[in-house]
Amino acid sequence: MVNSGAPYLARNRSFSDVWLIIPVYNEAPVVAGVVTEALRTFPNVVCVDDGSRDGSAESVASTRAHLVRHPVNLGQGAAIQTGLRYALSQPGAERFVTFDADGQHRVEDVVTMLAVARARNADVVLGSRFLRPGGERLDVPWTKRLVLRTAAALSPTARRLRLSDAHNGLRLFNRAAAARVNITMNGMAHASEITGFLARSDLRVIESPVSIRYTDYSRAKGQSLMNGVNILFDLSMNREKG
Amino acid sequence: MLIQFILISAVVVLLAVFMRSWNTTRTRAWKRIAFLGFCFVNAYAVLRPGDTTRAAHLLGVGRGTDLVLYLLVVGVTALALNTYLRFRAMERRLTELARDAALRTAHRPEPERPLAAVEGERSQ
Repeated sequence: MVNSGAPYLARNRSFSDVWLIIPVYNEAPVVAGVVTEALRTFPNVVCVDDGSRDGSAESVASTRAHLVRHPVNLGQGAAIQTGLRYALSQPGAERFVTFDADGQHRVEDVVTMLAVARARNADVVLGSRFLRPGGERLDVPWTKRLVLRTAAALSPTARRLRLSDAHNGLRLFNRAAAARVNITMNGMAHASEITGFLARSDLRVIESPVSIRYTDYSRAKGQSLMNGVNILFDLSMNREKG
Repeated sequence: MLIQFILISAVVVLLAVFMRSWNTTRTRAWKRIAFLGFCFVNAYAVLRPGDTTRAAHLLGVGRGTDLVLYLLVVGVTALALNTYLRFRAMERRLTELARDAALRTAHRPEPERPLAAVEGERSQ
């Protein structure tokens, strides 16, 4: 018991209060690998299967991650909210990370973000693809860079928070922040909804540099420019109350 | 022209009301009144087609048919907005329902057991 428990404890001691929340929708080819890799560093991972029809849930079930399954497809925003609610109910959970299932996020960046949060006493750390000096040219295809930069410049909330990257899926919340997140935009507009909520709140929000692995797989699944139109429409209609 | 003012302000008011409080008791009541009014005007226009033309002239529109068309456009806009918002409210309720079901049936991994305990079991 002593010899087999030691590495587990060593690993557990630093990150046992951290929960990775991974929304999964039709990612069967890669999700098990992504989850297994994340589990090597973070013992607590919850995957929210958003009604996948390609056996993604079965792939996740073969790993040691927690699995929550939406009975129908609701959208990535809804999946993140479900994951947050699940992780918040787990004993000892203090830090919550949203992480993509397609393998574009790096576990090392999460470790950095945790250290940054602790060092700078932040409630929320948002990943940014544009902070690393020189990283910009290396990591992000220029069309993508143009779209994301424009989104960041046009969004009043992103400007208020002085964000360089308004739509990064890698985010870290502490318990106080996670408990107050309430995503109602089920689709992809949730990213703007989250930054909007953060800008209105008194939470301390900072950015931390991350790099994205743009593989052919993730590029094929990425958001198109036209989806930006959908997001703008959803957000503009979100002003009514109730 | 009078009709332009009426149509444009109708659309603006509709947008404002729907954005702010599309499903309060008050708005619901007004929607029903508007629907009854629509039915009444319908029947009236069928019975006395000449009057629509007269009303059209009064408002600065050439033909009664055109007036009816313009009002229909506003009506369809209201209908589309209402349907959109209703669907979204329904989607939110569906989300809550699905989320609740998902959390109830969450699958948690077996607790990671030390190797010694597993070996002990095996030897039994």
